[in-house]
Amino acid sequence: MAATDHDDIQPADARPRLGSITLAALALPGLLNVAHAESAPTDGVISVKLQSYDDRQPGLDRIRVIAPSLYVLAPVASNWALEASLVHDDISGASPRWHSAISGASHMSDHRTAGTARVTRYFDRVSVGVGGAFSEERDYRSRAASLDVRWSTPDNNTTLYLGAGLTRDDINPVNGVVENEHKRSNEFMIGVTQAWTKNDLVQLNVGHVAASGYFNDPYKLVDKRPRERDQTTVLARWNHHIEPLGVTIRSSYRFYRDTFGIRAHTATVEGVHPLGERFTLTPSLRYYTQGKADFYYDPVYDPVIGEPYPPGRPRLSSSDHRLSAFGAITVGAKIEWRIDSRWSADFKYERYEQRSNWRLGGNGSPGLARLSADILQIGFSRRF
Amino acid sequence: MDVEYAAGDDAEDHRFRFTAMASPCEVRLAGLPRALATAHAEIAIAEVRRVEHKYSRYRPDSIVSRINAAAGSGEAVEVDAETSQLLDFAAQLHALSEGRFDITSGVLRRAWDFRSARIPTPYALAEAVAQIGWPRVQRTPETVVLPDAGMEIDFGGFGKEYAADRAAALLERDGATSGIVNLGGDLRVLGPRPDGSAWSIGIQHPRAPERTIASIRLARGALATSGDYERFFEVNGKRYCHILNPATGWPVQGWQSISVVAPLCVAAGAMSTIALLHEDTAPAFLASQQVAWLGVDRDGDVIRHGLPA
Repeated sequence: MAATDHDDIQPADARPRLGSITLAALALPGLLNVAHAESAPTDGVISVKLQSYDDRQPGLDRIRVIAPSLYVLAPVASNWALEASLVHDDISGASPRWHSAISGASHMSDHRTAGTARVTRYFDRVSVGVGGAFSEERDYRSRAASLDVRWSTPDNNTTLYLGAGLTRDDINPVNGVVENEHKRSNEFMIGVTQAWTKNDLVQLNVGHVAASGYFNDPYKLVDKRPRERDQTTVLARWNHHIEPLGVTIRSSYRFYRDTFGIRAHTATVEGVHPLGERFTLTPSLRYYTQGKADFYYDPVYDPVIGEPYPPGRPRLSSSDHRLSAFGAITVGAKIEWRIDSRWSADFKYERYEQRSNWRLGGNGSPGLARLSADILQIGFSRRF
Repeated sequence: MDVEYAAGDDAEDHRFRFTAMASPCEVRLAGLPRALATAHAEIAIAEVRRVEHKYSRYRPDSIVSRINAAAGSGEAVEVDAETSQLLDFAAQLHALSEGRFDITSGVLRRAWDFRSARIPTPYALAEAVAQIGWPRVQRTPETVVLPDAGMEIDFGGFGKEYAADRAAALLERDGATSGIVNLGGDLRVLGPRPDGSAWSIGIQHPRAPERTIASIRLARGALATSGDYERFFEVNGKRYCHILNPATGWPVQGWQSISVVAPLCVAAGAMSTIALLHEDTAPAFLASQQVAWLGVDRDGDVIRHGLPA
């Protein structure tokens, strides 16, 4: 047969009906499926992670936390999924130090057990999840419940998220400063995720928490905080895939403000690099900066009184360094290893460093030693 | 159950490679997180293996082997609804191809030994051809009888393509809208890439296994290719391939390969094979089926019909 145009050749035999083989094939069982359902996971996942957190100030190893955690995702029937996790922290170490002039700190030791459970029901384009969580320490008990709804457009390019949660905490410090104190918070969140192009995914989340109750640190000499705290968070994410390099850049910006007067900004960027077919390397960099709470006072160490004391007799005051003005940088990397189709392992290392003078757009709080921490995590997971 | 994972073009493009039906296979899913894609792919791959298991003529416990083992005994082998519908499809293909597509023609393998590269004797060929004959198969909706000892059927002509369609249907049921199920080059596209663009599917060069000769852009539907290069030998410069005319027992001539685009892979696969069996009348046959196709003729020239270059 010559390489000519065959368009003009007429059917030699008109007996076969037009398109008849396709019609015959359509009669075969189970080949056409038009039902689209919001998909429930069909495989279970069980994962074990061991995280170590080790922080220090110059000349002092402060807190070490080793936390094994267990996560289970089990599909139940075809439209349900059950997730549960359990974490058990062991904490040992010194209590936070006011500034670098003091050496020799009192020792603290506690442990925490926390767990979460979540049930998700998948419908067409919509999934509804109900969750519960608890956390138990000797002096602090927390219970939480949540409800969330996700909705995807028919093209799956846009997903809307609505969530609400309640938390009830009971506080019974061992030193008896207060008894049976409580804290309640109500949380709302709304978010939208949009596939912008085939290489860009953007997300915007806004969350609000209204809380009331006991916020003081009962173990600090002078710590009086408001009994109300409202927090607002705006989070924007952008994931961009660079096709020629096979690299995905994930970046995010988070703004936080609360009625304690704290304003904070966080910028994170990480790059997901596949290394061959089995490894993925993800380096990450995060910068955090915050202004101090309205009632935070600078801890000035008094050689006579000893521990810092707030100037005057303010109605509200705290010298908790977490309420001070500071900046912090976290640098880290994570390696994921797909061992086979069922097993995978990951290893993560992060270095955190916090310094007063790293604050952006204002002075950091004086008199605070820099704080650094190493976070190591090793995990295994298996699909079943 | 070895499945190799490979990343695709972006973080949400996942390729799951495996071997089934003696062919390299791949389920590719895009626009999904990896965990979800993996869960979907495993269901699809399990379906491919189910079809392979059920209809393999290499497995003594398969329904095909049981039907063949009972040939000539008079025993009516019971078949389930799925098998019965596949036999109906085979019957229609036989009629619509005017006897060219015949699932009882596998007996020609006894005459043609592609490993030893020997042209069979006229006697051996005549003996094998005499055992071919779909119209002699006795059927009810629940049973099948092969009347003569030595007669056999096989679903090699569309089993792989049927498995691709079944796997694709499960993926669609689970909400996968972008990806490809590719079983040894016979493939079904679930839907376009997440950005809406078509997938570019390379057509293997019939004379250079590591090269492609053309590409076809496909956003949905199926593509299957039959060619004279899958199993063949050459004697005195003449190529003898594994696609055999059931009327004569001789290999087809005229086309190096024909690729057909159709809504379903099982239809595309049957049409590409029947087109090769049509030899010179392939274009007319394919026109009657109203499908787009790409052929590589005996000189190696590419002919496109209904497919922009």
